[in-house]
Amino acid sequence: MPETMRDAFFDKLYELAKKDPNIVLVDADMGAPSLDKFRRDMPAQFVNVGIAEQNAIVVACGLALGGKIPFTYAIAPFITLRCYEQIKVDMCAMKLPVTCVGVGAGFSYEDSGPTHHTTEDIAIMRALPNITIMNVTDNVMASKCAEIACKSKGPMYVRMDREPLPTIYDKKEEFKDGLTCLKKGKDVCIISTGNMVHKALEVANLLKKQSIDVAVVDLYRLKLVNTKSLLNYIKQSKKVVTLEEHLLDGGLGSIIAETLADNNMNVPLKRLAIPDKYCYTYGGREEIRRTIGLDTKSVAKTVLDFCGKRR
Amino acid sequence: MTCEISEKEIKQLEKKANQIRNQILDMCVRAGTGHVTSSFSCTEILVALYHGGVLRYDPKNPKWNRRDRFILSKGQASVILYPILADLGFFPVKELNYFVQKNGKFGVHLQHDVPGAEITAGSLGHGFGIAAGMALAAKLNRERHMVITLLGDGECYEGSIWETAMFASHYRLNNFFAIIDRNWMCATEFTEDTVELNPMDEKWKAFGWNVKNVDGHSFEELLSAFHNFRSKRSTKPTLIIADTTKGKGADHLCWEPLWHGISPKGEDAKIAKSQLCEEEL
Repeated sequence: MPETMRDAFFDKLYELAKKDPNIVLVDADMGAPSLDKFRRDMPAQFVNVGIAEQNAIVVACGLALGGKIPFTYAIAPFITLRCYEQIKVDMCAMKLPVTCVGVGAGFSYEDSGPTHHTTEDIAIMRALPNITIMNVTDNVMASKCAEIACKSKGPMYVRMDREPLPTIYDKKEEFKDGLTCLKKGKDVCIISTGNMVHKALEVANLLKKQSIDVAVVDLYRLKLVNTKSLLNYIKQSKKVVTLEEHLLDGGLGSIIAETLADNNMNVPLKRLAIPDKYCYTYGGREEIRRTIGLDTKSVAKTVLDFCGKRR
Repeated sequence: MTCEISEKEIKQLEKKANQIRNQILDMCVRAGTGHVTSSFSCTEILVALYHGGVLRYDPKNPKWNRRDRFILSKGQASVILYPILADLGFFPVKELNYFVQKNGKFGVHLQHDVPGAEITAGSLGHGFGIAAGMALAAKLNRERHMVITLLGDGECYEGSIWETAMFASHYRLNNFFAIIDRNWMCATEFTEDTVELNPMDEKWKAFGWNVKNVDGHSFEELLSAFHNFRSKRSTKPTLIIADTTKGKGADHLCWEPLWHGISPKGEDAKIAKSQLCEEEL
C-alpha cells in the first residue's frame, strides 16, 4: 500500500485508466510519484493545463461531453475555490461526470499559511446541487474512491489529506453507506470526517480511561448524506460532538446541526472546528491545532466538559 | 482564399438573416426581455454557419455523433440560436412564443437541455474552454467533426479565455474554430473606452492562433473565412474576428451601450420592426 491516500488514489486510477482509455487526468500542474507513471505510460490520457484551474474544469467538462471520464487535480483550495463558478455552471448545472481531486484537506499544507489551507471547501462545495463529496479517511477508501468516481454519473469532489494516515478500513469495504460507525459508545458520539476521524479515535481511547463511553462515526460522504443511518447512530448516544479540520461555518458541524433540526431531534450538540479566523501559525499541524483547541488533549477536555464529567 | 458563392445564394442568406432578426425581435418584445442587440450583431455569423453549408447537423438527431459542435460561449445571445434551431426543426417553432414564459423551455441564457444548444452558458469565459475540451476529446477519440465557438468581444476580458487560448494552441487543436463577435461594446460602454482590447488580432496571434479578420455582416467574407475549414493545413486553432455592429438591422439601437440586455418597447420596438420589414422588401 502506498504511503499517502493521494498515491493510493492515483495508483488505482492508473490501473483503471490502463483498462479504459476514456479515463483522462486533467492536471493543473501538480505532481505526485504516482502520477509520473501515469504520464509516462498513458501520455494521451494525461493533460497538464498548467496552473490554470478554471481551464482545468472547463476542459474537463468538454472532455466529459465528448464521452471521456475526466479527473481534475490540484491542491484542494485551488481546484475548488479558484474555479468555483466553473464547477457550479459547467459541472453541476449540466450534471457532468467530472471529478475534482483536491489534495491538502484542512491544515495539510501546515506551514504554507491560509492560501494553502483548505478550510472553506466543504461549505462551498456542499452548497452545489448534484455533486457528491467524498472526504477520504485512509488509503483503502482513497483507492475505492477512484473506482466510485469512474462509475459516477455526475460531478464529484474527492477531498484528500496530504499526511500519511493509518489504515483503518478493511480492503473489502465498499463505502456505499456514506458513513461508518467505527466504535460504539453510549455517552457521547463523536462524528468526524477525514483526517480528524483518527483524532476522534484517539480521543475515544483517552476518554475510555476516564470511563466515558465514546462512539465514533466517520461521515466520509458529506453529500449526499445518508440521513437515515446517521440519525440511527446519533440515537444510540446521549450527546453529539462534531470534529473537523474546517471552518465552523458550513462544514460537518453544520451538516449535523441541520440534520438534527430538520428531523426534529433535540440532542445536545457541540461543534468542534476551526474558529472564524485565518491561521498564520507556524511550527507544524499539531501546533496550529493546539492554538485553536483541536489537538487531542484539548478535544478530550472539551468532550469531557460537555459530558459534565470534569475530572 | 475565396469561395464561390452566387448572388442568389447571398440574397437567400440575407433574407434568412432578416427573418431571424424579426423572430428575435418578436420573441423579445413579447417577453419584455432578452439580449436583442447582442444577437443582432452576430445574426449573419450564425446564419452563415447553419445555412451557408458550414456546419454538419441533423435536426432530427440533435446528438448525432458526427455533428459539428457549435458552442455559443456568449450565452446571453441565446435568442439568436433558439430561432435558428427552431427554424431548422430541432424543436417546434411555437416554442419561441414561450420564451421566458411560464412552462417555457428556455430563458434568457443558453440552456444545455434545449435540442441543439449543447451547453448551458451565460457566465462568460466558460463555453470557450468547454469547446476546447470537446475538440481535445474529438482528437483523442479520432473523430472528424469540428468544434466552433462564438465569443463576445467583451467576453475576452475574462482571464479564463486566455487560459484556454494558450491551452488550445499548445495542444494543437486544429479542429477548433473560434469566432469573436467584435461589436466593440460590452455591458455599459464601448470596449476601447472600458479596457482597451485592441490589438485583438496581435494578441491572439501571440497566443498561437491563426487569425482572420472579416466583416461580420458580409456573407461573402464570412463564407470565405469558413471555406475549407476542415482542412488541417495548419496545426493551429483558428480565430475569426468578425467586425460587427451591436444592434445591426435597427439603426436606433446601434452605437448606444444602454441597449445592452434590453428589449425595445413601445415606439422603439415599432421603429425596429418597421426597419426590419423595410429591409425585407
